[in-house]
Amino acid sequence: MNDIDPRPTTSDISRRRFIQGSALAGFGAFLAACGTKGAGSAAPSAASEPPASTGSSPSPTTAATSSAPQSPSAELNFANWPLYIDTDDDDKTKHKTLEDFKAKYGTEVKYSEIINANDEFFGTIRPALQAGQDSGWDLIVLTDWMAGRLVRLGWVEQFDLANMPNKVANMLEIYKGIDFDPTDDHHAPWQSGMTGIGFDNAVTGALTSLESLWTADPKWVGKVTFLNEMRDTIGLTMMRKGKDPSKVTDADVDEVITECQKAVSDGIVRAFVGNSYAEDLVSGNVVLAMAWSGDVLAKQAEKETLVWQLPDEGGMLWTDNMMIPKGAQHKYTAELMIDFVYDPVIAAQIAAWVNYVTPVKGAKEVLAKDDPELANSPLIFPPDTFLAKLKIFKSLTEAEETSYNDKFSTLLGN
Amino acid sequence: MGARGRLMRLTPYLLLAPGMLWLIIFYVYPGIQMFISSFWSGTLETGFTVSLDNWTTYTDALTRYEPQFARSLVYGAAATTICFLISYPLAYTIAFRGGRYKNVMLFLVIAPFFTSFLLRTQSWKIILGDDGILFGPLKDAGFLPPEFRVLATPAAVVAGIAYNFLPFMTLPIYVSLEKIDGRLVEAAKDLYAGPWRPGGTIAGAIIGTIVGAGLGAALSYDILVMAIVGLGAGLVVGSLFVSESFLRIVLPLSLPGVFAGSLLTFIPAVGDFVNAEILGNTQTRMIGNVIQSRFLENNDYPTAAALSFILMAGILAMVAVYAKILGTEELTSAG
Repeated sequence: MNDIDPRPTTSDISRRRFIQGSALAGFGAFLAACGTKGAGSAAPSAASEPPASTGSSPSPTTAATSSAPQSPSAELNFANWPLYIDTDDDDKTKHKTLEDFKAKYGTEVKYSEIINANDEFFGTIRPALQAGQDSGWDLIVLTDWMAGRLVRLGWVEQFDLANMPNKVANMLEIYKGIDFDPTDDHHAPWQSGMTGIGFDNAVTGALTSLESLWTADPKWVGKVTFLNEMRDTIGLTMMRKGKDPSKVTDADVDEVITECQKAVSDGIVRAFVGNSYAEDLVSGNVVLAMAWSGDVLAKQAEKETLVWQLPDEGGMLWTDNMMIPKGAQHKYTAELMIDFVYDPVIAAQIAAWVNYVTPVKGAKEVLAKDDPELANSPLIFPPDTFLAKLKIFKSLTEAEETSYNDKFSTLLGN
Repeated sequence: MGARGRLMRLTPYLLLAPGMLWLIIFYVYPGIQMFISSFWSGTLETGFTVSLDNWTTYTDALTRYEPQFARSLVYGAAATTICFLISYPLAYTIAFRGGRYKNVMLFLVIAPFFTSFLLRTQSWKIILGDDGILFGPLKDAGFLPPEFRVLATPAAVVAGIAYNFLPFMTLPIYVSLEKIDGRLVEAAKDLYAGPWRPGGTIAGAIIGTIVGAGLGAALSYDILVMAIVGLGAGLVVGSLFVSESFLRIVLPLSLPGVFAGSLLTFIPAVGDFVNAEILGNTQTRMIGNVIQSRFLENNDYPTAAALSFILMAGILAMVAVYAKILGTEELTSAG
């Protein structure tokens, strides 16, 4: 909902601050329920109308991919979320990572910051994929649950892991063997983020427990928001009760709904929102919220007393994943690109700009040489004490997803 | 003569063609598509099949979302009433007292439309903020308790809708008032039309009480307090501002504008979901929010389509009844 784009236009602002701003904008766009248009110039029509030359005049390299020794294609169509890759301070269309890729393989990456919401983007590629046609994209990035859906539908290509030595070697252990892709050859994590609690320390004092979200303390009654993302709210509510959201059951969901309903009828919860809670934390309408790490971090620039806390009971970890849609024109080159961003040097370059959790082993060591402060940020490189407390929501079957969404909608008044 | 005659006969159709084409492509065709999808069953992953047996989607949807339907009608009616209460005096002043500032004042009525709907609604969050520019000072001065808030309550949603659709009420009323011949009022005065004291006072008191109580119920405020406020306001307005010439000349002649204005306000207000989304909370969801969530979040296309058709049919029926009661033809010939 919030079209936040606090990127500074002047260069006299610290790099750190700059990174935070960008992360917020990325977060904002990423989580925007209403699908605000991002910085990308790609119009909404871009998905239905694949970028030029994908369909027409087959490039010589496309023809070459069919013969035995594969070579990178002349172009690669890459769809991603806004502000989710390192970007030149002066020229928003320049991304060093993509230029490095071109220098190495000669491929022109057509990078579109077109994905603003999982459902919305899914809607644009569904007709083509359902009809067994090329979606126009070679590489797309979607959140776990949507990635799970695409894998279940059989709408993504299987990777040839022989082409991806970096990915095989450098993907962090915590990401391996996820339920929707136990063999790790249909998806590759791009970046991750965390869900915990955010609060205004000046009003609430320091909080460390999820219990506070259910406590009718006069300091925050009616000034608490929960998230309108089903997986985040159900996940945190389960963790409060000491349950594991990666093993959610129907009974758990029913219990969660009752618990949340209680917080609503007790007058504690003001509303269920998307990332608009970040604005409300600054204005004081909200003083305690279920919150995404990057949002609060970025808003500290406007209100220093804001704190993001990984609750004692634990928090949620979610991941956006790279996938190759079925029938993609440049599958081999897409595999090269995935492998390329799993090179620790490249991963560090991206992580330093976007301020998210990177899934690549060795990126921290690379970054430590340039920017030790950033390398020590628990929000980019969560230490083991963090990781131990983070859970990934179970990948749901369609029947479960429909049922849970439905119950959650009822809680939200829909 | 022959060719020319044929062309003349075709002219009305040629003039209609662009509009008809537009309607067919962007209204009729998607409407049919949506109607068919309301008879689907299945899921995204298994695919959808059409069957007339799925008419139960309609009854299920109506039963399950009855509260949201009712709420939409109540909020729509409340917002329309508020719009009318603000618009009528405003339009009257512009039309009869505007003088050379008429155009400027009309421009000011439309001016907010130069800003995006979303931005205007967002800005209400700043105005109505718990410690914002409106309530902050009142709370500091002790007039309001610290926990008082308007945001995330029905009042914020209705206020947002009323604000966003105000020009749709003001402009039609202005147009109908503007056309009234001032000599009719002069003639009425010559024929001893004076102030309407006892009648106006009683009518004002009754209408004020009803409107106050109704708004109190719609916004979940204290009905008794709101009724008393309405009674007071009605008394003052009825006894001081309503004259016989207004009652017998101006009001009847402006009713077509009121009719058009209420339709233009009520119909989009009932279907609105932006105000409830931004300014409301879980207890203020309207039917538009449900349709949006069914379509985009739950991939439940049949229910969403069925809800849309129920809403359309319901509004159509209400408009028909309203037109029957306040028939436009009689109105325009009245007076």
